[in-house]
Amino acid sequence: MHYSPVITNAEIAAKDKDLHLFQYVEDPKQCEVETFVSRGGYKAWKAVLDGISKEDVIETVKKSGLRGRGGAGFPTGLKWSFVPKDSPKARYLVCNADESEPGTCKDRVIMERDPHAIIEGMAIASYAIDCHLMFIYIRGEFTHCIEKMETAMKEAYEKGHLGKNIYGSGYDLEMIVHTGGGAYICGEETALLNSIEGERGQSRMRPPFPAIEGLYACPTIVNNVESLAAVPHIINRGAEWYASIGTEKSKGSKLFSLSGHVNRPGNYEVPLGFNLKDMIYDPAYGGGMLDGKKLKGVIPGGASTPFLLPDMIDVALDYEALQEKDSMLGSGAIIVFNEDTCIVWVIKKLIHFFRHESCGKCTPCREGTGWLEQMINRIEAGQGQPGDLEKIEEVCGNILGRTICPLGDAAVMPIQSALRLYRDEWQYHIDHKECMVKSNFELK
Amino acid sequence: MSEAVKKDQPNVAVPTVTFTIDGQPVTVPKGTTVLQAAKDIGIHIPTFCWHPQLKSVGACRMCYVEVEKMPKLMVSCMLDAMDGMVVLTDSDQVRQGRRAVIEFILINHPLDCPTCDKGGECDLQNLTFAHGFDDSRYDFKKYRFKDEGMTSTYDDKKIGPEIMLNRNRCILCYKCVRSNKEAFGEYDLGAFERGNITQIDCVPGGEVNNPFSGNLVEICPVGALTNSDWRYKIRVWLTKTTPSVCNFTSSGTNIDFYKEDHQNKIFRVTSRTNDSIDNGWIPDITRYGYQIINSPDRLTTPLIKKDGKQAKASWDEAIAHIAKKYTEIKSSVGGVCIGGLISPSLDNKSLYSFSKMIRTVCKSNNIDFRGDYRMLPNNPSSPFGVLRSQPFSIAAIDDADVIVSFGSDLIHEHPNEYLRIRKAYNYTNPKIYSIMPYEVKSADVANIEYVYNPGTDECAINAICLAAIEENLVDANLAKEYLQKVVPSTLKDAVTLCGLEENNLKVLARSLAEGKNITFLVGEIVTRSKARDNIAAALLNMNKLFGISSKGQISILARYANSKGAEKLGLLPEPIAQIKDVLKKNFDHYPESEPRNTDDMMAHIRKEEIKGLFVVGSNPMMMYPDKEFIKESIEKLDFLVASDLFETETTEAADVVLPLAGWAEYDGDYINLEGVCQSAKQAVKPNGQSKPAYEIIRLIAEKLESKNFDSEMLDKEIVACLAVDTTIAFPIDFIDVKPETEEISDANTLPVFIIDDAHHSGHLTEKAPSLNNFAAEAYVMMSEELADKNDMKNGDSIRVESDMSKLILPVKISETLESEVLLVPRNFQSSPVTSLFMRKKRVDRVKISKVDK
Repeated sequence: MHYSPVITNAEIAAKDKDLHLFQYVEDPKQCEVETFVSRGGYKAWKAVLDGISKEDVIETVKKSGLRGRGGAGFPTGLKWSFVPKDSPKARYLVCNADESEPGTCKDRVIMERDPHAIIEGMAIASYAIDCHLMFIYIRGEFTHCIEKMETAMKEAYEKGHLGKNIYGSGYDLEMIVHTGGGAYICGEETALLNSIEGERGQSRMRPPFPAIEGLYACPTIVNNVESLAAVPHIINRGAEWYASIGTEKSKGSKLFSLSGHVNRPGNYEVPLGFNLKDMIYDPAYGGGMLDGKKLKGVIPGGASTPFLLPDMIDVALDYEALQEKDSMLGSGAIIVFNEDTCIVWVIKKLIHFFRHESCGKCTPCREGTGWLEQMINRIEAGQGQPGDLEKIEEVCGNILGRTICPLGDAAVMPIQSALRLYRDEWQYHIDHKECMVKSNFELK
Repeated sequence: MSEAVKKDQPNVAVPTVTFTIDGQPVTVPKGTTVLQAAKDIGIHIPTFCWHPQLKSVGACRMCYVEVEKMPKLMVSCMLDAMDGMVVLTDSDQVRQGRRAVIEFILINHPLDCPTCDKGGECDLQNLTFAHGFDDSRYDFKKYRFKDEGMTSTYDDKKIGPEIMLNRNRCILCYKCVRSNKEAFGEYDLGAFERGNITQIDCVPGGEVNNPFSGNLVEICPVGALTNSDWRYKIRVWLTKTTPSVCNFTSSGTNIDFYKEDHQNKIFRVTSRTNDSIDNGWIPDITRYGYQIINSPDRLTTPLIKKDGKQAKASWDEAIAHIAKKYTEIKSSVGGVCIGGLISPSLDNKSLYSFSKMIRTVCKSNNIDFRGDYRMLPNNPSSPFGVLRSQPFSIAAIDDADVIVSFGSDLIHEHPNEYLRIRKAYNYTNPKIYSIMPYEVKSADVANIEYVYNPGTDECAINAICLAAIEENLVDANLAKEYLQKVVPSTLKDAVTLCGLEENNLKVLARSLAEGKNITFLVGEIVTRSKARDNIAAALLNMNKLFGISSKGQISILARYANSKGAEKLGLLPEPIAQIKDVLKKNFDHYPESEPRNTDDMMAHIRKEEIKGLFVVGSNPMMMYPDKEFIKESIEKLDFLVASDLFETETTEAADVVLPLAGWAEYDGDYINLEGVCQSAKQAVKPNGQSKPAYEIIRLIAEKLESKNFDSEMLDKEIVACLAVDTTIAFPIDFIDVKPETEEISDANTLPVFIIDDAHHSGHLTEKAPSLNNFAAEAYVMMSEELADKNDMKNGDSIRVESDMSKLILPVKISETLESEVLLVPRNFQSSPVTSLFMRKKRVDRVKISKVDK
């Protein structure tokens, strides 16, 4: 098998004039440089080197309204403009392909099926910040992605899209495919930089931000795969085109990884502002609830985002609308739960993940996640005690906003929201020493 | 002295910020953290992971402060002060935050303080009392580390010769790992696993045995790291501290002795931070070296040789015997036939009274403190003397933009200065260069490491100058003058001789020419070399060409705790002129006799012109690089008096042996390599009947009817000496420098250098058991390549043979060496490696061969 069997909406994307990330992802030939070029690949890269100034590239991306697709949603062009222009140091571009947030598997699809798009985006971003050595840091478990990216990189070198004096422009650009060692924390940009440097994968305090002092203490831009893959299209078709997609403040299209109790879990590219209800129920996307069960809740943006109740899902999938509902767009991983799901069990699984992935650097996250896991396990096992919920809330409060990196926040936000939205279920667990719902499934 | 170096620097106005902490206004330079600013005005913010010498990481989260208009608690160790900030360090929110951190930390921390060795000086214990809850809300089983083979989770794990680790007590502040890496450049300790089961450990199969490892224990905030030397021997509150300085290095790093009066025993040494000297780090030699004071092998009573055997005697008998023999020698052949050799690790008063006794009682100039250097110049203003007398400031290293270390294996000779250079490397990023005849570990901070052919030191220096001339980096007229004085006078020829690379030399030449604040330090390779005057001349030429001393500092560093004091107090056979003038005033008569250094004294003993020798704290039999020469000389002596802490080869040969008190056993002043005079206070009473050297000298002098040795008088005279600036002016002209090369008679031989082991210094430290845990016997160090070539493996016993002698030594493969040279440590009495050396050689060479089993 040349890539993972994931459902995508490539057919829709191919016909839609605005969708661009998933246009060719169902064609295995898209990975080959010839096919990629024949479909307009590396055109933007050539155009940039042919005479678009660095400032203009940054300006275009700024105007397009592209925001970081890794989770935080920071404006990409603005981030690039933070690189000090007069610094005598080298600059680095790092593509963050350490995709490991539970529920998220969108970058994997691009890496497997359209690797040159990432290389082209990285190249343009490198040019914009005057970087001559770029890295892609790929999650270690994604061995097939690593192979695909390495092959694509080799092809790009062979065809002169990378290397010395690219297209005769005098611009040199080298690329390194760097693989992670299997730590969620290395998807956090400062831990990722530590990991590339050969240090332990632990986050660094900011400031200084990587754009000022990142890899090897040099100005460094870290961008998500999806953000970078969109850049060539923005250059080719203009900032106005990109800005015309999506909503007023959330522009462009976005990949969503839909999973859980739906009929058609998969990766879907939609314009930002797409309705969550449609995503779950539209036959072209989620196709409704599995076995026709009732919806219990949705995590809209990856394991670290707060829950949405069934009456909250008529909401636009964009940065602002979800924030209004006290949740987040995050990385775009929509996890759907049906009525048979025990929420305490879900939280038990989540806190286990975050406890296991806490890097061990700062005290609240390191010790707090361990404590939370023990308390939640106890409740789940029917041994919860009065006062446990209050204690959990207090411990969550002592972690939230008190850690070096967002992992601590990520660990407690779903817990806080689950306690707020499904309090009766927690209380039932403690009072009756058993589940309120009778799950007929057991995911191991 | 440091002021002298610093005053030439431009006074750049640093921008400042003004803000308030707990209502107090404070103005600090921009870039200062809130934590530091609070400390400066005496507001205490608790911390675990913060250390003044390490980069902040914000891991423990203990130093929370509340800042107006900022929604979250901020960690003050990572927060740069900004204008107008309103900081609260003791608000309800802050107290709540700290309490939560303490609660988190205590989740997996054992609450068995009464059985923990850190109890009483534990940061966690103190901060829990100050900021924590009274009770624990954590009602689960604490996580416990337990390795296979451990019987209890409270078993400690040995991770180094002197370090025990208890991971259950560790609160993961990472200070040990960070300092090991940042401050010491060592990678033998790391963190493993993740999250709440993260553990500190040594790398698999390795151990933490670097020369600074003891510091890791000292900065551990809890009882996770303890050292075998101190743990479970005494409770800290039963000890008292005495301030002192290190006696094993020349920096005089500041230390505290922890002693217990009833047992009259020292239990440990810790740093007594003095930022102008040591930044709070001390090498292991300093930390564990004190153990020699407690050693059961100490000499405790005087010994007098009768019928070829040394027998115990009283002080009265010993002193009377010495006085009698000295009177005999004085009346028969004259006092000029008595010589004296003293250790430069002794205090000012001992050194000065020694000189006074030799010069006024014996009326001779047979005196030296350099018992382990061969063929020293007698003239104090020789090029070597000039360069040696130059001022040097340790703190000035912080401000240097170019740092050059020439001929110094820094970690072994000047560990404290290495750490200072490493600090500059971490914070100010100067250009650093290391120039040596072999590769050294300390070059890990260097931009370029230069390795020249052994014995071509002056050529290597000339090559740097010639590279600058070729690149037109120096004044053309000076260059012209210079070229007339040196051979070879072309870069090409010089490079051929010394084996360095032209392009690399040009980089160094450019840095020296363009540097605005240069620190150029010269080490033992030059001091020990027979050609030291020629090398120093080349360095003086270089100084004139580049103007190094006018924009920074250049000096040959003193090697021992009080070498600088010995020079300043006139212990040289021919004292520095300024000092000689003072001595002439201090003494009734300054002797007219010929000045004789160690070599001359030995030569005159052989000619039977010197009959008596008084050796204090020095062991030339083991340390002088030509054992045969010393041995033959000593055998010719009529009367040898030796005083030391332990039985040595020299005391064994002595007619009278006097037990000497160690530096922790009396008050004394020592002058470090910067010329700074520091006091070491008495921590314990002298062992047995041992006495400080000045006391011994006073007794002998008084017996010889000299009344001039009372303490007050000596103090006054010492003050007069120390008031004098002993810097010798640089010569006006360039000096002729020609290469002094030796023929290599046998191509199968390899150059060999004497070193100090990284955990030993001089001849006494092998009496410190902790230091022996790192290295207890001599070895021959070589590169892996050389070992392979000779089919030798780590630990193999091999024969090392020179024209002088042969030794069987185990092979030790060095991680840093690449050149074909051998290094032998001189610190072990069982294998006196100096026997391989010959005093008239510039570079000694030996053959190595495998021993048939």
